[in-house]
Amino acid sequence: MSRADRIGGILFLLFAVWFGVAGRQYPYWSETGPGSGFLPFWLSLAMGVLAVLLLVSAARPGSAGDEAWAPRGASLVRIAAVAVTTVLFVLLMEQVGMIVGTGLFLFVMLRLVERHSLARSLGVAVGGAAGTYLLFVHWLRVPFPTGPFGF
Amino acid sequence: MELLDNLLLGFGVALTPFNVFMAVAGVFVGTLIGALPGIGPVSGVALLLPLTFGMSPTSAVIMLAGIYYGSMYGGTITSVLINTPGESTSVVTCLDGYQMALRGRAGPALGIAAVGSFIAGSFGVLMLMFMAPVLASWALSFGPPETFALMFLGLTTVTGLTGEHALKGFISMVLGLMLAMMGLDIISGDARYTFGYPELLDGVEFLPVAIGLFGLGEVLVGAEQATDTRILEGRYGFREVWPRATDWVRSRMAIVRGTLLGFFVGILPGAGATIASFLAYTLEHRCSRHPEEFGKGAIEGVAGPEAANNAASAGALVPMLTLGIPGSGTTAVLLGGLIMWGLQPGPLLFVKNPDFVWGLIASMWIGNAVLLVLNVAFIPIFVRALKVPYPILMAFVIVFCITGAYALNNRVWDIGVMLVFGALGYLMKKLYYSPAALVLALVLGPLAERALRQSLILSDRGVMIFFARPISATLMTLGLAAIAVPVVRSLWRAARRRQRPATA
Repeated sequence: MSRADRIGGILFLLFAVWFGVAGRQYPYWSETGPGSGFLPFWLSLAMGVLAVLLLVSAARPGSAGDEAWAPRGASLVRIAAVAVTTVLFVLLMEQVGMIVGTGLFLFVMLRLVERHSLARSLGVAVGGAAGTYLLFVHWLRVPFPTGPFGF
Repeated sequence: MELLDNLLLGFGVALTPFNVFMAVAGVFVGTLIGALPGIGPVSGVALLLPLTFGMSPTSAVIMLAGIYYGSMYGGTITSVLINTPGESTSVVTCLDGYQMALRGRAGPALGIAAVGSFIAGSFGVLMLMFMAPVLASWALSFGPPETFALMFLGLTTVTGLTGEHALKGFISMVLGLMLAMMGLDIISGDARYTFGYPELLDGVEFLPVAIGLFGLGEVLVGAEQATDTRILEGRYGFREVWPRATDWVRSRMAIVRGTLLGFFVGILPGAGATIASFLAYTLEHRCSRHPEEFGKGAIEGVAGPEAANNAASAGALVPMLTLGIPGSGTTAVLLGGLIMWGLQPGPLLFVKNPDFVWGLIASMWIGNAVLLVLNVAFIPIFVRALKVPYPILMAFVIVFCITGAYALNNRVWDIGVMLVFGALGYLMKKLYYSPAALVLALVLGPLAERALRQSLILSDRGVMIFFARPISATLMTLGLAAIAVPVVRSLWRAARRRQRPATA
């Protein structure tokens, strides 16, 4: 874990510095009392201290070595496929419409990512899209993005 | 008599057909969510929150609370039948529950857990009913320093008691507070950290964050290790499930002990149902006349912890409803929901919205009774649900994450926020950070900041105002102790390591 912690520590430290610097434009103290920059200053300081503590604990000789926390092999492929399909769904949602997008997403997830049978993938995709329509559009009246098909 | 009047008011609200339906739907979905490995009560509540838009807050919370305590029942089914806890509160149930199942006694294990949960849940609601109004009326006298001290205590205990990774818990909490700084400052009106995006003027909204961290993040962790579950087949009808006389005799005191322990542990911020169930297991092991049977199918090892986690879930509602301080991830999401629906959590809730509070409490009686029936007579339905392949479940959870985040403000921006926090939630979970501490800090951040600044405006001696008043001084001291405990613990460990150099 120590490598992930070292990287994490550096990122948190950079974030703390940036947060503190960006927060300097807000007044620390006003006529009536603490201003809008008061808490951001102290929080960036706290984060800085915590980040240094994390770096110190990761550098300690007794700290645990790199555990296999990151996915590898088949797990990595699966998780990457799920993540890419999800992001594509969101990117294409406004073009194809939420309901059609939901059906497509479910189909791709089951058929291409998880290798389910064609019949089952189609069934789940159509059922899922219809269910989403009923629940969100028909019942909750959420104005989802609509595509060329009107839903 | 006032209590009786309040309870009558509550039942008047809870027994309307729609609210009864919401309670039944909530506990049914809760049991299902508890049973399905991969989605826990926090994810369940966060994912279903968008469905409650447009409802009255009372109906919404009746359903969401049903999911919360219902999931405590459902977790048992998975622990006993597939040796995989549905959520962390049922981890300990695997030890003896699965062993009972291997010996053909899955039925009594599920049955005693359901009855124990019912007794514990009902007792928890009873105690909630008596304690909450007292605590709320005491808290009514709180000024800004006490309010801030209380929030400080809530934040530090939830974070500091997270076990070995307390440092990462504190980092998660401060990150949550930093996110809470974004948007319009409530006192001065300054737009902070908005980078010119009008979407950020309202700040980082809690719901897409919660859905991302707990819904998408959780599912991504599950996607890595998705394996098919093997369920122990058997008959789980009423006759098989209802415990025998000998089971009752062995379990009754375990249920009583688990109930009392669970409720009081549940009230403490930061402890929660998981710790309660572990403590109850240890307690039963110590009290048992047959400690050698533990780990090999002792029914007390199921009854005690299952009673404890249910009592704790009712206990956790005490500080949430009376003080506005959630004691766990799930109650933090519920609290975020209350704020979203325009209710002000804290002692005033009992004065301003008695129909809401008492309606919720009354609905918990109904919910627990329905849960007993569901978990004694309808186990086969939930066993069937366990057979749904994980990939299908995962795909639907992702769809729910996306549609739910969109439905908040009808804009794609919130989906983007949800995706970012989904990725962050995945990393946080893998690297032992605390998503619950982040959400808690995000929810409490604006309230804590206001109380802090108001206190400092009142004060002529700076931060000493927090130590000059008895209640706030006590709360602040306890909060500081919660920070000190993990520090002392890690120094102690380091010192011991130095004394005993590793023999390689």
